[in-house]
Amino acid sequence: MESVLASLEAMLADNSIFTLDTLSYYGEGLTTTVQLVFLSLIVGLVAAVPLSIGRGSKRRWIKMPIFFYTYVFRGTPLLVQLYLIYYGVVFVEGIQDTWLWVLLEKPFFPALVAFSLNTAAYTTEIFHGAIKATPRGEIEAARAYGMRYSLMMRRIVLPSAFRRALPAYGNEVIFMLHASAIASVVTIMDLTGAARFVYARFYAPFDAFLFVAAIYLCLTFAILYLFRYLEKRLLAHLKPASG
Amino acid sequence: MADTPIPLEVRNIKKRFGNTEVLKGLSLEARKGDVITLIGASGSGKSTFLRCMNLLEQPNEGELIVHGEQIRFKETKHGREPADWNQVVQMRAKLSMVFQSFNLWAHMTLLENVIEAPVHVLKKPRKEAIQHARALLERVGLAERADYYPAQLSGGQQQRGAIARALAMDPEVMLFDEPTSALDPELVGDVLKVMRDLAEEGRTMIVVTHEMAFARDVSSQVIYLHQGQVEEAGPPDEVLGNPRSERLKQFLAPKR
Repeated sequence: MESVLASLEAMLADNSIFTLDTLSYYGEGLTTTVQLVFLSLIVGLVAAVPLSIGRGSKRRWIKMPIFFYTYVFRGTPLLVQLYLIYYGVVFVEGIQDTWLWVLLEKPFFPALVAFSLNTAAYTTEIFHGAIKATPRGEIEAARAYGMRYSLMMRRIVLPSAFRRALPAYGNEVIFMLHASAIASVVTIMDLTGAARFVYARFYAPFDAFLFVAAIYLCLTFAILYLFRYLEKRLLAHLKPASG
Repeated sequence: MADTPIPLEVRNIKKRFGNTEVLKGLSLEARKGDVITLIGASGSGKSTFLRCMNLLEQPNEGELIVHGEQIRFKETKHGREPADWNQVVQMRAKLSMVFQSFNLWAHMTLLENVIEAPVHVLKKPRKEAIQHARALLERVGLAERADYYPAQLSGGQQQRGAIARALAMDPEVMLFDEPTSALDPELVGDVLKVMRDLAEEGRTMIVVTHEMAFARDVSSQVIYLHQGQVEEAGPPDEVLGNPRSERLKQFLAPKR
């Protein structure tokens, strides 16, 4: 480990900006960004499954609130949502006396809430569209073979819809990664936050931001690769035989 | 005959879509081993009639008795509905349907399609279901295709797979909704052959079809529907060989 650090130090010897010190900022920023994006995607995904089923319900009192929620969160900028939650939460009566304040006091948690709510809204609509596109005949076959609604959802509709939603959901993940850059405006030291810090310290916009852009590109590439792999495995059934 | 209940009895089914009455009181009795074919021009209501039998369509009036058990209905503000969906689910598991457009579940392999309902609806042990499924796929000539997805199969193979899926339920009655209408002509023969075999082994079948040769050779009863009513019914020799009504004569004429 120490020899690695030493060789890295030697490599950076002539470099005034990318010292071990600033690289560690980028490193921490990378960790924060990945945590923030990963956690909000998990929360969003878990929330979106029941929401997307409810979104297609026949009952108005289930369908309408969910539609209202997705409409509001897709219809307003993520930055505004983040501001509302980050600055607004302080004004909630008595919240500073509860245990919640320990979490909400730091900017990470409000950002996580805003991002989760936002990605849940988009994911709900993606899944809803995919569920709606389930071939009618497959649903009819499920009913004709004695499946109840819950069994049909679990065995036929959702597995088929999730596969269909995969390419669109992959886009949403990439979108979320890039949208997470705005976390830096509420003092979070994510990747972009680190880049801003380095820029401010050395007044070197190209070095600071091109470097962070490269990191985002690498992350995006990893996501693209993961989803290409998943699509290949899970969407095999849609490809006709090639002989 | 009194000791074994009749597999399927349908009495006086009426069905309206809006103001149009598409089924005007149809009855039918499928005894064990019967092969009943429903023929008629498109729009005559034959498919709707078949779909009323497993309640994919809700009839507005009429009775349905499956294996001696009467399906209970209740009146709601949306019209008539089954009173007990559990009963409907159990009833559907006894009548398996083969569709015009196959309707195999696209995200499952052929084998998974065949074991799906036996395992999850009938709660059969998975191992047993797989064994049964392999035997059925062998029977319809698809043993080598068990691990293929539906999209990788031809229409005729998909339909034979769908018949295997239907057989896996050990159904009281098999309902066929124009099983060969979506197939290329050269693929029809294989599917019909499988259906002939089933009829010969004594399966109770109700078949909506345009295949007159099949109706003539295989069925025990032919019902000719016209505008939601039975125009003629009886053994195939009589109905197809010696049609009485002018309409049926016309219907049969271009097909011979």
